Amino acid sequence: MHEAKTSLGIILFPAFDWSISPTHPEREERLLYTQDQLKEEGLFDIEGVDEHKPGVATREDVERAHFCFPEVEAVATRSHLVAAGGTITAADLVMSGRHKRAFALVRPPGHHAMKVVHGSRGFCNINTEAVMIEHLREKHGVKKIAVVDTDCHHGDGTQDIYWHDPDVLFISLHQDGRTLYPGSGFPAECGGPKALGRTVNIPLPPGTGDEGYLMVMERIVLPILKDFAPEIVVNSAGQDNHFTDPITNMNLTAQGYARMTELLKPDIAVLEGGYAIQGALPYVNLGIALSLAGLDYSGVREPAFDAVKHRQRADLAEYIERLCDTIPNVYFHPPKEPADGFVVPQDSGEWFVRHKNIYYDTDDITEAQTEELFLCGSCRGLLKVVSRTTKNPACLGIEVPLGACDACRSLGYSIFEEAQVKEGYRFAQFINRRDKEYSRHGF
Amino acid sequence: MYLGIDVGGTHTDAVALSEAGVAAQVKVKTDRNDLLASVNQALVSILETVPAKAVRQLNLSTTLSTNAIVQGTTEDVGMLVVPGPGIGAHEFMLCRDYHVLNGAIDHRGTETGFLDEGQARAAIDSCRAGGVRVFGCVGKFSTRNPLHENTLGQLLGQDADYVTLGHELGGRLNFPRRLATAYFNCAVWRVFNAFADAVEQSLASLGLGHVRVNTLKADGGTFPLAQARRMPVQSIFSGPAASVMGIIALCDITRDSVILDIGGTTTDIAVFVDGQPLVENDGIHIGSHPTLVRALKVRSIGIGGDSALSVLGETVRVGPNRLGPSLADSVPQGAALPVGARSTLIDALNCTGACSHGNVTASRQGLAEFARQHSIQPEVLAEQAVLAATQAIYTATQELLAEINDRPVYTIHELLEGRRVAPGRVYLMGGPAKAMQSAVRQRFELFTVVPEHFGVANAIGAALTRNTASLELFADTEKGVMFIPALRHRENVPRSYGLKEAERDAMNHMLAHLSEMGVFADRDNAQVTHATSFNMVDEGRTTGRNIRVKCQIKPGVAFALAGQGRA
Repeated sequence: MHEAKTSLGIILFPAFDWSISPTHPEREERLLYTQDQLKEEGLFDIEGVDEHKPGVATREDVERAHFCFPEVEAVATRSHLVAAGGTITAADLVMSGRHKRAFALVRPPGHHAMKVVHGSRGFCNINTEAVMIEHLREKHGVKKIAVVDTDCHHGDGTQDIYWHDPDVLFISLHQDGRTLYPGSGFPAECGGPKALGRTVNIPLPPGTGDEGYLMVMERIVLPILKDFAPEIVVNSAGQDNHFTDPITNMNLTAQGYARMTELLKPDIAVLEGGYAIQGALPYVNLGIALSLAGLDYSGVREPAFDAVKHRQRADLAEYIERLCDTIPNVYFHPPKEPADGFVVPQDSGEWFVRHKNIYYDTDDITEAQTEELFLCGSCRGLLKVVSRTTKNPACLGIEVPLGACDACRSLGYSIFEEAQVKEGYRFAQFINRRDKEYSRHGF
Repeated sequence: MYLGIDVGGTHTDAVALSEAGVAAQVKVKTDRNDLLASVNQALVSILETVPAKAVRQLNLSTTLSTNAIVQGTTEDVGMLVVPGPGIGAHEFMLCRDYHVLNGAIDHRGTETGFLDEGQARAAIDSCRAGGVRVFGCVGKFSTRNPLHENTLGQLLGQDADYVTLGHELGGRLNFPRRLATAYFNCAVWRVFNAFADAVEQSLASLGLGHVRVNTLKADGGTFPLAQARRMPVQSIFSGPAASVMGIIALCDITRDSVILDIGGTTTDIAVFVDGQPLVENDGIHIGSHPTLVRALKVRSIGIGGDSALSVLGETVRVGPNRLGPSLADSVPQGAALPVGARSTLIDALNCTGACSHGNVTASRQGLAEFARQHSIQPEVLAEQAVLAATQAIYTATQELLAEINDRPVYTIHELLEGRRVAPGRVYLMGGPAKAMQSAVRQRFELFTVVPEHFGVANAIGAALTRNTASLELFADTEKGVMFIPALRHRENVPRSYGLKEAERDAMNHMLAHLSEMGVFADRDNAQVTHATSFNMVDEGRTTGRNIRVKCQIKPGVAFALAGQGRA
């Protein structure tokens, strides 16, 4: 029998008793055929490849990554907490040295869930990767982390959560926002004032195939990763770039996915989207798993594959090459000023302010949000978010970041206390990462 | 009268019993080169006390197939393999005549690549030219659609002595395991059938021709010899299961419990949940090959009565080496200790006073000498050895329980509300059971039970084990097909076919199959162990249901020897 060259822990949690609705793409059946394929291939009998049971994320695990209004339990079902828990288990497997790599095959996905959560957008409530990353920092002391999001949709949630974080590099490869949900993810979106160039967006034209993805991987992603030198590389492994996916327009194959994974060498991969559950997922997941384990994946081939039909159109190569020439500048030569937002002087000092309007398509909620970052000279800065939605009245979120200075810490406390006294907000959430204090007000 | 014979590596145990109790029991040395002789010897001894006419049933647990594989006396097998896309089938090359053929079936049972019949014929010709007479035909996802395997079976026609089709081995998904299981089934087929013929001849000559013969399986059940002749691989590693079933016959187990079968070389640990033995999720390994052969969940560790004691620094250890029998067993009364004699766990137990087995004086002398070499008090050494053995058993048990409680589940309900296994009792059996009882009670801090007849519980288990059977049903209402691979039964079903109908069909087919084999199976012992139905949706429209049902006859005993277990 053969043996994995890099040991791999797989958390396979298909949540066979949960769906958004009976015929929704995010339904019980989604990972059924993937599980069948992995079992039939005997993947878990391979030396060094093991299956593990997911943990369940706690309220605190979620609050490290999100402001949830009115509260965690209201926006996250048990299924979301298990999916997030599965990513935490994946992180623990790698950090404890039990496995070299881990693959969290969990559902529902998470990469559209932003810093503030009022409900579900793009099938996502809780950002599973962000919950895992904050766990990595809190429990394992990991500082620099890179997230490479290969889902076909722009990972706008992960981008939002790490917008101001210079220690988390976020790179997203996705179908151009002008042609697909959520309509964002352009190269000009490159991070907040404290983290310029730490968000890198690579919008790819519809029809991009293996060739284009691998070119982007080799010419944009890998050089940036080499320079950033993260301690942990996370892959948000959405599988909707596949040529059979019903809701996107790309041409990636199972072989392309496996090769991309081989180049990226992520420590932890997390399943995101991907809804061609019969024709793509079983093969793509198998390809990714074999590639992660350092095994031969050359025999993985989806039945619908046609070498001629699924080749990338010739004219796309030129377009993608231009992207490869320009996009690295986002990281290596970021702009001096952020593209959106403005600096507002207040009594306490200067604040960087952004206004955002966010639509939760799955739950039909509209949110108007003001995000303020205190421009501190000695730490990442206090974060304050005021949010109003069609569901919840004014809500306040305050976060004292990891490694906050004394001034930001006391400023955070005074704003939270003031908010409680003045009662201007229906719900307020205070997160002090420095002292691990989590409090809520207004229930 | 029920007869049970357990042919073990060292001893062959046999008992004859009825509901009144054990009527006869014998223990003979196993002749590894002539298992039939051992079986005959045991039968003859039993018949000295029990009249042949009174015997109704013989259950046989044998290491025959295992030995054949270990000793390499199996025959060449032609493997015809249809892997389709995925992990390459060459990774699993099991034998010389291993032919990988083109063709593919996907996870839903759709043929996505035609079987190359020309290639298959060439492969068959090449096998035949090499003198191969038995064949295994195995395809990926053949348990969803057996088309390719059936075609290969037809191509082989009547001109093969035996053919194993992969899907006959059961409906579970695991292509490499299906390959290995089919291979071993073919490889031991001839040697097992020769043995079965010889046993039947012996029985006839001993006046036991009327006796119904069953063979033990590793899953805590038996199957008729006629069935075993077709699926000899299922008779592999039935020894530990015989012991576990013995405990069920001797004790009334109703809750979560641990079973310890402490033998000469190893201790087998099994776990009961709600009084039922746990079956492995996957199958046993044969050599380095994982298979589909169902087995009770049993963990073996290298600690037994004959495990040698060793001292490393300050630490006293027991096993895993066995350097020979204990001094208590090997040194004749009054004789001097041989040079370099090694004390074992039994000797230590003799010294602590936990038992007085064999030559106690030799045990004491040997241990005293060993203790002197390591500058330890003999009493301390003996006590620490027993503690070390108990601790090792305890640790292995905890690991097994953790593995059981941490096994993956696939629904939120099971994950959040699944119950944890927490044993409340420990049952001990095997030679040193009585001697180890108090040490085990102190370490486990649980109520311990050593049943009477604990020395031949394995043969009692063999005698009383009931028939078991299990099968998987797979239905796809979009395709309009229901399939039970193990029975090779495939029928068309209407679009309205649902989980209820599937559960009913699975149970009925299983019971009907047993009665065809002449086995009476109580419906009360049949249970559905897994039943799921998934709506299949295409473009927002429900197109059908994907249904999976598993059912089984629970492992159990024909009757319990009431009042024979005691605390």
